[in-house]
Parts: sequence; structure tokens; C-alpha cells
Amino acid sequence: MDIIAPDYSKEFEKLAEAYEKSGGDTSKLLDKRVASIIISGDKIIGLNSVDGVEIESGTQEKGVWAKIRILKGKKINMPIHLCTGFLGKEGEQRVNFDFVVEDGASVKFVSHCSFPWSTKLTHKMVATVKIGKNATMIYEDGHFHSEAGGVTLISDTHAVVDDGGRYKNSFELTKTRVGALKVRVDVDLKKDAIAELDSKIRGKKDDEIAIVESLGLNGKGSHGIAKSTVVATDETHARIINEAFGNAPYSKGHIECNEITKGDKVDVSTLPVLKVTNDLAELTHEASIGRVNSKQLNTLMAKGMSEDEATEFIIKGILR
Amino acid sequence: MLELRDIHLFLDDKPILKNLSMGFKSGKRYVILGNNGTGKSTVANLIMGVERYKPQRGNILLDGKDITPLSIYERAKLGITIAFQESVRFEGITTFDYLTLGGKVKADYEEAKRVLELAGLNEEYLKRRVDESLSGGERKRIELASVLMLNARYVILDEPDSGIDMMSLDTISEIINTLNSKGTTTITITHREEILRNSDYAYLMCAGVVLNQGSPEKMSQYYKQLCDRCDHPNEILESVERM
Repeated sequence: MDIIAPDYSKEFEKLAEAYEKSGGDTSKLLDKRVASIIISGDKIIGLNSVDGVEIESGTQEKGVWAKIRILKGKKINMPIHLCTGFLGKEGEQRVNFDFVVEDGASVKFVSHCSFPWSTKLTHKMVATVKIGKNATMIYEDGHFHSEAGGVTLISDTHAVVDDGGRYKNSFELTKTRVGALKVRVDVDLKKDAIAELDSKIRGKKDDEIAIVESLGLNGKGSHGIAKSTVVATDETHARIINEAFGNAPYSKGHIECNEITKGDKVDVSTLPVLKVTNDLAELTHEASIGRVNSKQLNTLMAKGMSEDEATEFIIKGILR
Repeated sequence: MLELRDIHLFLDDKPILKNLSMGFKSGKRYVILGNNGTGKSTVANLIMGVERYKPQRGNILLDGKDITPLSIYERAKLGITIAFQESVRFEGITTFDYLTLGGKVKADYEEAKRVLELAGLNEEYLKRRVDESLSGGERKRIELASVLMLNARYVILDEPDSGIDMMSLDTISEIINTLNSKGTTTITITHREEILRNSDYAYLMCAGVVLNQGSPEKMSQYYKQLCDRCDHPNEILESVERM
């Protein structure tokens, strides 16, 4: 059976174009050794599963849902690919994901959301993540929006990581305009669980960025890092909140926010929130907002780069 | 020829350089010698055009043209560059990207490898990022390699030996000689005898003035006799402030 239903082959071609733009590798979507879900608008147009992975899916109002379960003890060697696209110019897309990684299992997801032709689109994603005892889940989410700035992205992820589990979530939107973005990720970490949250975003023109990353260090010995890097240029508004709650003994959390500003009309703020309810917990934070470091600029300009070239070079590195 | 003429520089209302004049002929190896805090790095920043180091009086001339108002970038375009004393970190940038400035410098992998090896690092470093995963000494070597890539007319090396072990002094001399063999003028800020010996001419600085100048042998002798155990910096400083 083909991964792409014959009725959707034309639609897939167009979606594949968008997917490649966002950095995705289309061949992976057609490889039967790779589990994948391909979503276009309010339809699932392609689906493939592999040993150790169970996928249920269906449609809902203005979108789709999928439940993805990694079976106990299974190590999924090739990343599961999630391709989400919207080919129209205007509309709304709702996607709900439930991820369950059972005890001792490990999996990596590579997700690409591509809306290069949309001028007025609202994309809403709600995800629940349950990571079992000593299980591992890595989720890499890359976005590619239109340069019109008309995409609104609302994303809400709630993750629970059981004893000894590991969760790594990275979000990247650096290649195109953002539009409007509201991302919230919160993680509930049990005993000896580890989480790493990392966001990299570049805002241009009048983009609006709001990020909340929250670490609930609720189990003894749990560790977490929440890091966000935002480059705000032109008239970008950005509000970044990184939270860590040390509620268990020997839990450790670190939050870090780096915001690079360029232009005198940017409006950027960062708010680190650290709260300890157990005196054996340890929380730290680092935050910086401002122009590109002058020593870095001087070093590059002394080699013949203009200020703009040097700034771009530094920013690309930071967002890499 | 690069010249500093009667430079007066105040930082935060304090006199840092006063009546300072120096000349650097093409294709020669110069050293600016002096104890800590005598103004050597200030001269390096001044020549490069770092924003805070614009003189209140005096001129910097390149081939007779006044370049005092020019920015760092504009001076770099004229062929002046520097390896700053502090080698900064660049998150996400590989050594290869740094050496080739993301493709702006037309050099291939082999050329980058060659200059890196000359600076004492092997090929593996080309893939590594110039960030906190490297030690200060490793970043310093990458910085030295980077100036070799540029074919500049004037290269300022501000304390190239700081943060690098004793064994590397030979490497630094080799880099200076390689630059010199291509016709580049080197201006090395140092207080190391070994680097002084590998030069053609030296300026000895104290309290923001040129105390003496001449051959490396003469300056070495003078430095050993008077500066190594200097017990009158305040007198010199006061005399400068009276100038």
C-alpha cells in the first residue's frame, strides 16, 4: 500500500515543495522504513507506521488529530517524520497530537510545519506528551511561514516525564517571518527525569512573539533546562517568560534567555520566574537583551565585514 | 607607511596617550614593548579605529592620507587588521566559517587547514565551533590563523602570547615571519623578550608615551635595565600629566 493515497498525489507534490522549503527531506516521507504522518489542511494525506509504533488518526473540525504510541522498550532507530502544511492562502488549521512513549522506549520526531503561501492563516496545535519510566523522546519542530507575515501560530504542549525519562523539545522559526506566535511548553518532571527545552526565533517587521517555557521539577533529582534565543529586528514585539519551579529535593533547573535586538523600534522583554518550595532544590537563570556584542562586531569588522554583514554573521551563528 | 602623529587620547577624562608619535614602514616587523598598563593595547585599538579610541588631538596617516576619522571597517578595507588581545566566542560558527568569514574570504578547505596548522591546531578544529567549548588558548590560535587568511598590509597582534603556553612563542614568531614574507607589516604588542628578538624595530612605552625606540637589541637592554624593576612609574605618569 502506498504511503500517499492516490487521490492526494497532486496535493502531496505541492506539499512536498513546501516541506523542502522548510528544510525537510521529502524522500523520508516516502520511505516505508520511516514512520510518518503527512497533514495537509484538514486532512491526513499520508501515513506510515513501523514496528514498535502505533498511530491512530482522524479528522476534527478544521483539522486533524493523531495519537502516536511508542511501545514499551522499543527503540525507534529512524526519526518519525511529521509534515504539516497548509496550501491555501487563508483559513484555520487545528492539529491535536497525543504522544505516548512507553517505559524504556526511545524515539525522535522531526516535525516540519510549512505555510509558505498563506497570507492569513491560524494554525493551532495542542500536544500532550507522556514519557514513561526511563523512556526518551526528542521532538524537533521547524517552522516555515510566509513572508507576508499573516500566519498566527498558537501552540500549547504539556508534557509529563516519568521517573528516569528524558525529553528534549526544540522549536525553530528562523528562516521566514514569524507573523504572530504564541508558544507555551510546560513539563512536569518526575523522579530523576530530565528535560531540555530550546526555542530559536527570528522576528522581522512587525512580528509578534510570545513564548512561555515552564519546568516543573516535581521529582527528586529531576533536572531541566529551558533556553530561548530570540533575534528581534525592525518593529518586532517579543515577550519571553521562562519559568522553573523547584518542588523536589536535589532537583536542578536552569533557565536562559538571550535576546538580540536590532533597530530602535523593537519592543522586547524577558521575564525569568524561579520559585522554590523545597530548600534542597537549586535554580539558576541567565538573561540578556541587547545589541550584538560589540567585541564580536569589532573583531569581524576588523577583518573587513561591514557592521550589517558582521551582525548577520553573528545572528546566523546564534540561531544555528 | 602608517604613522601616528602627536596623538593625545583621553579616556574618561584621564590622559592615556600624550604626544605619541610612531611610524611603521611597509614590510617590517615592529614590536611595541612595555609593562602592563603603559598604553600598548590602547595604541593597538587606536590604530584599528575602535570607537572609544578616537584621539582628541593628532592624526593617523596611511601613505600620507589622514585616516583618523575612518571606522574599523573602513580601515580594514584599506588593509589594516588586528588580532585582539581577547579572542571572543562566536556561538554556532565553525572555525572554517570563521576563517573564511562565511565565504567572504575566498579560500578553500586546504588553505584554511594550512593556516590553522601554522597556528598550531590540527584539521579537526575546522569543524569545531568557536564557542565556549574551546579554551582561550585555542581561540587565540584560531584568531592568529584568521589574520593569516586576510592578506592585509598591516597586521596588529595584541599580546598574541597571552593565554598561550611558552612552547608557542616559536609558533607566534613563525606566524609573524610568514606574514612578513608576504610583505605584511606586523605590529606586535608584547612584553616578551623572545618576540622582541624576532622584530626589526621596537617602541618602548611607559605611562602613555614613547620612552625609547630603536633596534630590538637596544630596546631589550634598555627594558631590562630600567623597566623590568621599574620603581618610578608615578614620576613618569606625573611628568606625562604635566605635558
